[in-house]
Amino acid sequence: MSNETVSDERTPVRRRGPLAGVRVTDFCWMGVGAVATRMLADFGAEVIRIEDRKRPDLPRRLPIYKGDVRAYGDEDPHPDPNKGGLFNNYNRNKVGITLNMRSDKGREIADRLIADSGIVTENFAPGVMERWGITWDHVTGLRPDAIFARMSGYGHDGPHHQFRSYGPVIQAVCGLSFNSGLPGREPSGWGMSYMDNQAAYYNAIALLMAIYRRNATGQGMEIDVSAVEAGINLLGPDLLDTLVNGRPSRRDDFPRGNRLEFPDAAPHGVYPAAGDDQWVAIAVTEDAEWKSLVGAMGDPAWASEDRFASMADRVANADALDALVGAWTSGRDKHDLMRELQAVGVAAGAVQNARDLVEVDPQVAARGTFFELDHPVIGPALFEGNPMTFSRTEQHTWRSAPLLGEDNTYVLRDILGMDEDEIARLAAEEII
Amino acid sequence: MSERIPGSPFSDLVVVELADTPAGEHTGKLMADAGATVIKVEPAEGATSRRTGPWLEGRPGADRSLSFWVYNTSKQSVVIDGPDPADGPLAALLDRADVVITTDGPARLAERGLTPEALVAGRPRLIVLSVSPFGLTGPWADYRTTDLVGLAAGGPLNSCGYDDHSIPPILPGGNQAFQNAASYATMSLLLALLQRQVDGLGQVVDVSMHEANAVSGELANPYYFYPKAVVQRQTARHAQPVPTQPALFPCADGYVYFALILGDLHLWKSLVAWMDAADLAADLVDPAYEDFAHRQAQFSHVQEVLEVFFLLHDADTLYLEGQARGLPVGPLRAFEDLPQDEHLRAREFFLEVPVATDEGERAALFPGAPFRFSAFEPQPSRPPRLGEHDVAVAGGGGDA
Repeated sequence: MSNETVSDERTPVRRRGPLAGVRVTDFCWMGVGAVATRMLADFGAEVIRIEDRKRPDLPRRLPIYKGDVRAYGDEDPHPDPNKGGLFNNYNRNKVGITLNMRSDKGREIADRLIADSGIVTENFAPGVMERWGITWDHVTGLRPDAIFARMSGYGHDGPHHQFRSYGPVIQAVCGLSFNSGLPGREPSGWGMSYMDNQAAYYNAIALLMAIYRRNATGQGMEIDVSAVEAGINLLGPDLLDTLVNGRPSRRDDFPRGNRLEFPDAAPHGVYPAAGDDQWVAIAVTEDAEWKSLVGAMGDPAWASEDRFASMADRVANADALDALVGAWTSGRDKHDLMRELQAVGVAAGAVQNARDLVEVDPQVAARGTFFELDHPVIGPALFEGNPMTFSRTEQHTWRSAPLLGEDNTYVLRDILGMDEDEIARLAAEEII
Repeated sequence: MSERIPGSPFSDLVVVELADTPAGEHTGKLMADAGATVIKVEPAEGATSRRTGPWLEGRPGADRSLSFWVYNTSKQSVVIDGPDPADGPLAALLDRADVVITTDGPARLAERGLTPEALVAGRPRLIVLSVSPFGLTGPWADYRTTDLVGLAAGGPLNSCGYDDHSIPPILPGGNQAFQNAASYATMSLLLALLQRQVDGLGQVVDVSMHEANAVSGELANPYYFYPKAVVQRQTARHAQPVPTQPALFPCADGYVYFALILGDLHLWKSLVAWMDAADLAADLVDPAYEDFAHRQAQFSHVQEVLEVFFLLHDADTLYLEGQARGLPVGPLRAFEDLPQDEHLRAREFFLEVPVATDEGERAALFPGAPFRFSAFEPQPSRPPRLGEHDVAVAGGGGDA
């Protein structure tokens, strides 16, 4: 990504990038909505987040604060909505306004923004947008070429479309949680809302496809993304093994923990390294890698035993092999192991935590994956950048996340043409 | 040119796929299913995925690999050994292509003569999309990777596993390290196509699988960026700086996920009413529990009563009744449960795709597209046999 200097000025600037000139009326919230529209905002779109003063976005309330460690869900009873680190991470480069959508006047302002922008994004529980009268028919009445992107757990029709969902429920329902764990015990599932990220990515893909098509044809479209369906698309070859071959996934040797069934691979696992709860992953899929690994281990006598001679032998004796490899790795530094094994062509990776990524990982540092922006309440903070570089396209980073209602005047005056008196009245009436 | 997906904006788009990992292949699949002509260039022995199981009916073969099928629907296949971007069949393909996808690291690309510079030379409109293990620059650029190694080094693996930390972190299934890269590669490709709509020019796009994983850990990075806390893995629930209560419950026929949010009185009342209807609420009906502090103080007792309730019901009942009462309960579905799901059936999500094997055509059930559009309908069509389009593509047609 580009490392341009970011100005201290917080007033929205003319955006650069392939989406410059695109404007979005963004009702998205939480991670899954915000990450999708962040991609648009990073590359030039003016994304106007509509927020509710009475119901601040959960990432504004989650206590991920500088110098204050609490668990997710352990909410601060009186949170400062401008202090939340998660909100900052998800909403850089966006414009933020507050709007009371329970009021006629609030909905009327939303309509004017929709008519101006032509793109509407949302990820509320089905029914919320309908309650505000914002339907596909309504949106296309305002803008015949509108793009209306709807993101939800289950999609907008079907008998379960109103079911309550969030990441871990989606992962359970789509098969991704069952897919992870040691054979013969409870699934270990996911230690995160993986589908919040992936559903957000699929929503961004859908939006980019829709904008590309509108540029070519002048026509808009409605988008319906179901996180459950996106998740099933991520299950991979094992899903087809069940669908095509009728091989059940409820069986004694599935899921496979850290081992593979295809291709043959041994050793293939996560092995202890020096330090408390530190690990290194090693994946040997070719005989040449095995020879290199044996060399790196100093040619121990056990490695030349017949039971480890061929890949098939090593797979058949994987338990014994894992114990011996683990005895060699334990006591060694995980990053040293990664470097030494990679130097001789063995696929190996330290199990890195976030501290490793920020403080140790030379690749992340060299590529500038994380970057810093200032924020009026939080101060300087790191951000997760985008994992790609373009030879010509610019990521235009101009500001950290908006304060609650920070851009009310900019949007109402400079985009919708209201005067200061009208804006003051809206504030007094708690419309904004 | 025929329009395989009516209304698709990609019907005229030609993508040449030199990809040999699920990251590049899934990117090509998403574009092919959405209507692009994706021509997969393979060596005579076939792409790596063709040589990787599981296999149709358990019997290996280049046209029987389910690893190939799942990542290569809707594509064409041509065999070109020793592809040369400056001469011969690959050069001819690239001359009429809009996009080329590669997946090797920089040293291997140089060795094969397939660097972005070589691919793009003389082709100003071509978009070169590189989806490599670590990116094309940096000290780890030529390191080797796999799904396990990618999730380990990228960070997500650190959050996944069991409460018992004598057990190592556990790999989530399904090639997810590659899937994070595929998602970013597809977004990047679309951004480059949007750029080309503006100025008519192609470019080189360098997507790093390592970085895609490094930015996909959800709370892990923000917890370090802000309070400098490192999250710890916990069984089937969010990794956190501190331990939280279990959220995975054994039930009569499997497991359900349910995170009890004690602070929400409305949800509490729904839960107790549901348990009481089954005569299993025990003392939780006591109005004293309407006080948040009391619920907190009695939390382990609450959890025990809940465990018994879940254990006496099957996953489907818990899912449908819990959700009907507004409780976010999720059954841990096995793959064989998915085609029976009444919601997915009503949405006609799974679909029969004809597949060509060495024994002729047959139908196979595939997952449908991950997004639905009113303007056009992305959907998978059959994966190609090895070299199936050699003649058509060499003849300049390129249509399936």
